Amino acid sequence: MPPKQTKGEYIETDTGNKVSRKSVILGSQNIILGGKTVIQADCTIRGDLRRTVAPGQHSGNVAIAVGRYCFLSRSSVLRPPGRTHQKTFSYYPMKIGDHVFVGEGSVVEAALIGSYVHIAKDCVIGKFAIIKDCVRIEEGTVIAPNTVIPSFSLVSGRPGVVIDELPETAQEGLELKNIYRMI
Amino acid sequence: MAPHLTTYSFPTVHISCPCDESIAITPKSPTKPGAPAAPEEDLDESEEEEEEEETFDPRAPRSNFSLFPLDNLLYCEDCKQIRCPRCVHDEIVCFFCPNCLFEVASSTVKTDGNRCTRNCFSCPICFASLVVAPTGEGQAGPYILLCNHCLWSSAEIGIEFEKPTSITTQLAEKLKPPALARATTVSFTSPLSPVSASSESYFPSMGAPTIITPDDEEDKKELSPEERFLRLKAHYAQQRAGAGTDEYGSSPGALSRLMGLYSGLGSGSRSRSFGRGIGGFSNVGGKGKLEWTEWDTVKEIRDDEEELIERIKEVGFLGTTNKEQRIAQNHQPRFIRDLRPLAALLRTKRSKRCRACRHILVKPESKPTNIRFRIKLVAMNYIPALSISRLDPTAFNYIALTPLSTHQFLLTITNPLFDPINVTLATPAKTPGRYPSTVTILCPTFEVGANTEVWEEALQTIANQPAATIKKGRKTGMLIGTVWDLGRNWTTVVIEVVPPLLPLPGELGEDGNELATEDDRLVQIPVSVRVVYETDLERDDGGLGKEAKEKREHTYWSVLGLGRISEKMPTKTVEDAAGSSAARPMSLVSVAGKGVVGRGGAGEEASGGRVNRHSVR
Repeated sequence: MPPKQTKGEYIETDTGNKVSRKSVILGSQNIILGGKTVIQADCTIRGDLRRTVAPGQHSGNVAIAVGRYCFLSRSSVLRPPGRTHQKTFSYYPMKIGDHVFVGEGSVVEAALIGSYVHIAKDCVIGKFAIIKDCVRIEEGTVIAPNTVIPSFSLVSGRPGVVIDELPETAQEGLELKNIYRMI
Repeated sequence: MAPHLTTYSFPTVHISCPCDESIAITPKSPTKPGAPAAPEEDLDESEEEEEEEETFDPRAPRSNFSLFPLDNLLYCEDCKQIRCPRCVHDEIVCFFCPNCLFEVASSTVKTDGNRCTRNCFSCPICFASLVVAPTGEGQAGPYILLCNHCLWSSAEIGIEFEKPTSITTQLAEKLKPPALARATTVSFTSPLSPVSASSESYFPSMGAPTIITPDDEEDKKELSPEERFLRLKAHYAQQRAGAGTDEYGSSPGALSRLMGLYSGLGSGSRSRSFGRGIGGFSNVGGKGKLEWTEWDTVKEIRDDEEELIERIKEVGFLGTTNKEQRIAQNHQPRFIRDLRPLAALLRTKRSKRCRACRHILVKPESKPTNIRFRIKLVAMNYIPALSISRLDPTAFNYIALTPLSTHQFLLTITNPLFDPINVTLATPAKTPGRYPSTVTILCPTFEVGANTEVWEEALQTIANQPAATIKKGRKTGMLIGTVWDLGRNWTTVVIEVVPPLLPLPGELGEDGNELATEDDRLVQIPVSVRVVYETDLERDDGGLGKEAKEKREHTYWSVLGLGRISEKMPTKTVEDAAGSSAARPMSLVSVAGKGVVGRGGAGEEASGGRVNRHSVR
């Protein structure tokens, strides 16, 4: 549990997001925070890495969409995944659901993270990984690019593989409303 | 699952599922079978324990299988009992591929097996998922299966695909050994039996021409699993065909033949030969007695084994597979070069039923990606949750508790029910095991408020403030029989633990065994939680009887894993370190001075005695 922060460390938005003044947020116009999301110090969010669009063509300019009650711990990195497709390199949007916890020092390059996902500290979530709802990723896990993790999985190891099923109560256990209140 | 087998993450709270006891038919002997025999000096204590016959022993071998975290437990409303994963029935709701998340019909699982038949494969080296990657110019073929983690690719075993779709069929085609075609079309021999000629006499209608007695060379050669499977399949197909057209299925002779298969007392030579053909019975004695003989002869080092050794020399240690890699494959290859991509194993969604009353406890939505449940009766909604934390949280190491000093923990009981509950905690004064810790719960009986809505409490605050009338230890100082703190639906009490001083690791006893194992270093406290509450009586017509209240009671054992005792000696030197009771530091434990704290005994007795905590230190 993170200790109570000194006052003024966070900027609170209208929707209740709490963003640390010490976090590095690039391309903030391409980032959507759903509300009541906490971004701690030294977090890096790369909203500047967005889809390369041919001039004149207009596509959605969201690089990172984060849901409600998410918690990005210190020194974590959110980075949209990119790849070369038909000879042009492009980044693809990253979508994160509600109640997603990203631990200290974890690097996330997933394409999609569902709701109620707990990523412990020092994890690497590979490019274009898809993590469904109710997943717990243990400390130090490295998830290979393009991996799909189904719901109710406990993932561990390098490369991260599903080692166990989570119980039916996973959703209650992974809720982050209380952590938000503590900040 | 067992608290002392998991890696250290303290504190832990596990709850014992009583299904363990219902299985045990033999009455429990008081000396707890399997528990290590208490050393001489602890005899008095173990005798004391015998009086408390029901004390749950977290170190008993059986406990390993009955302790679960609250999250993993279900609750049967009809039996009014906790249900653990061992006492529920699982029923498969759907099969799905964990990689592509497509649902697979159960009929397909029966015919095609429990692996994904799309493009889902995992790496045979590191088990990460494989992707189909083009090797040609501009996304063109040929395609390979590539691991993005360890960069293994199917090209390493010489497999490339013409098109990026239906990889499973392409792969099956490529992995088919050339010998297979012959095996399926020509030799219809019995796959198991070298005495396959017997089947000729057995299927007269089939005639002899398709049956070829295997020559010695073929017999010696090891069949690949696919070959063996196809042979078996052909064999049984042939048998079935024979049964369909022949007298096999309907005639009275069929029955006696079947009987003969099992008893060996059937009708003469026919049954004998049949038995040999099928399962490896041989009627060597000739007196109707069946004996098992092994099909595989004892393996000798043959020429190809030497070849194998040569190959190991050639590829080196790094070219061989490790245990995990080998077990995951059907053909259990020795060399990395023989590994094949693994098709993704399907996963299931399951509903759960109570084993006793067959009521459904958990029923998930049938779609693989949906996380909702139609029915979900989990224990955390029915029984109060325990959580434990340190009273003084600053700089404290759970994996190195100082021996012989008093540690204070806060035990919080949270009530999930809509009625206030009365909780009674009971624990043996000394924990079970060779080196018992001394435990005192300062307030064993107390009330926990109902789990009402937050706003409801806000409305009630003006009317009556029950919380304010109860003294809180946090404010008044530590008093015996007083709760530490309480809130809307939770109450916290103080629990004191004095861990024993253990012999150092590596110190050996007279019998040559270590005096204190790592297991003994863990402080595990069994706590019996008894919950009594009154609730509105549920009526069959669905309405709630206003006056009709029902008293309910629920008792369960839980085990608190508080930490691990440090090897380091306490700074204070204690003369008699071995006798832990004598070395117990002066504290209110001795003031309370009772063997067992709990069941309303010591707490009430000593409630007058106010103790200044800080002077103890």
